Amino acid sequence: MDASLLTVQPAAPEPIYRQIVEQLRRLIAGGQLVAGELLPSVREVAGFHAINPMTVSRAYGLAESEGLLERLRGKGMVVAATRRAGQSESQRLALLEQQLVAVARHAAELELPAEAVLNRLGRLMRSRE
Amino acid sequence: MNAMLHEANPVDAAPLEARGLTHCYEGGNVLCGVDLALQPGSVLGLIGRNGAGKSTLIRGMLGLLEPLSGAAFVFGEPALKLSDPAKARLAYVPQQPEALAWLTAQQMLDYVGRFYPRWDAAFVRTTLERWKIQPNKLLAKLSPGERQRVDLIRALASQPELLVLDEPAAALDPVARRELLREVALRAGENGTTVLFSTHIVSDLERVASEIAFLHEGRLLLRCGVDEAKERYARLWLPAAASFTAPIPSLSRRRHDDGSLSLVVARDARGHWPEAASLPGARVDALGLEDLFVEIAE
Repeated sequence: MDASLLTVQPAAPEPIYRQIVEQLRRLIAGGQLVAGELLPSVREVAGFHAINPMTVSRAYGLAESEGLLERLRGKGMVVAATRRAGQSESQRLALLEQQLVAVARHAAELELPAEAVLNRLGRLMRSRE
Repeated sequence: MNAMLHEANPVDAAPLEARGLTHCYEGGNVLCGVDLALQPGSVLGLIGRNGAGKSTLIRGMLGLLEPLSGAAFVFGEPALKLSDPAKARLAYVPQQPEALAWLTAQQMLDYVGRFYPRWDAAFVRTTLERWKIQPNKLLAKLSPGERQRVDLIRALASQPELLVLDEPAAALDPVARRELLREVALRAGENGTTVLFSTHIVSDLERVASEIAFLHEGRLLLRCGVDEAKERYARLWLPAAASFTAPIPSLSRRRHDDGSLSLVVARDARGHWPEAASLPGARVDALGLEDLFVEIAE
């Protein structure tokens, strides 16, 4: 994996270390990162994104404690063996919960009917396939 | 007495510390008893509006001005009587460097390099070129931005243990700014360099700072970890109907024309928002640092 696979938005309300963990979770759940794959070193990620190495360490530490990553002695961080691409659909859906809640709220504020929003979402998703 | 104790324990001393620092100018720009200590290896971003006293605080902490009361310490030594060995471990870049203007950039860097035991001449060469400084031009003839870039090179090349930068971003284009942030972040993370920098560009601070201190009208309003600031505070919006309930503890409150209310609230020790957050129509919005500062500085 390359450090450029991660994106960092410093100005977002979500702390950078959480942004990194969230992306690792999605990349692993989606199968873009597979078990045993080596992660870029703390220095590479910090250098590429010009962020504090302690932030990257914190993210890796949290991902390790959640069982997403494993520390291999002398090698670095790798994607944990127990996490395979094949998470259940409901597990993967749970990863979207926050964004869906936000969309639902905005839609309600704009007084948009559910069908219109779902329609548009469906078209967006199909156009990516 | 305190200073004596500090000198006896230079190893445990904070690299930089202000205690009850108070200062005022004729114009009325004031510091009101600021306490601030930096832990080794931390990157503290100092933020505040123009005229909040950021430069005065920095100068006071480094012993470059004599405070009305209070004291400052660098590596445990009184800042006003700093020893030469302590000065060699410290690098400071003011907003408008003026020293040695009769030398060229190259002459100045060659000259000051002799005073630093760990001077990195290779870094000077490559960075002068990358940051597009003509080495043979007199410093006096450089633009203020170029002057500050030369001074940043001087500061970084000395490989200091304590790096103090006053508004470093103003002089750099986005690419060079990112390079500077990378240097600062990696040096803090890998060499344990302690960094204090003031800025008005909050996203720079969010990238590299481990902690923030928010100076407002001469006082520290907020001092905490960057991540903690984002996780702990939020904006609570209450519709007019719900906004006249019991008083809610908050850092700031703003009544809008339609009677609704915006408050900056904090989670309690168990991580819960104030009870008012569950009133009908209430909304809790996460805040980026910039929004947080705008809300509490108004």
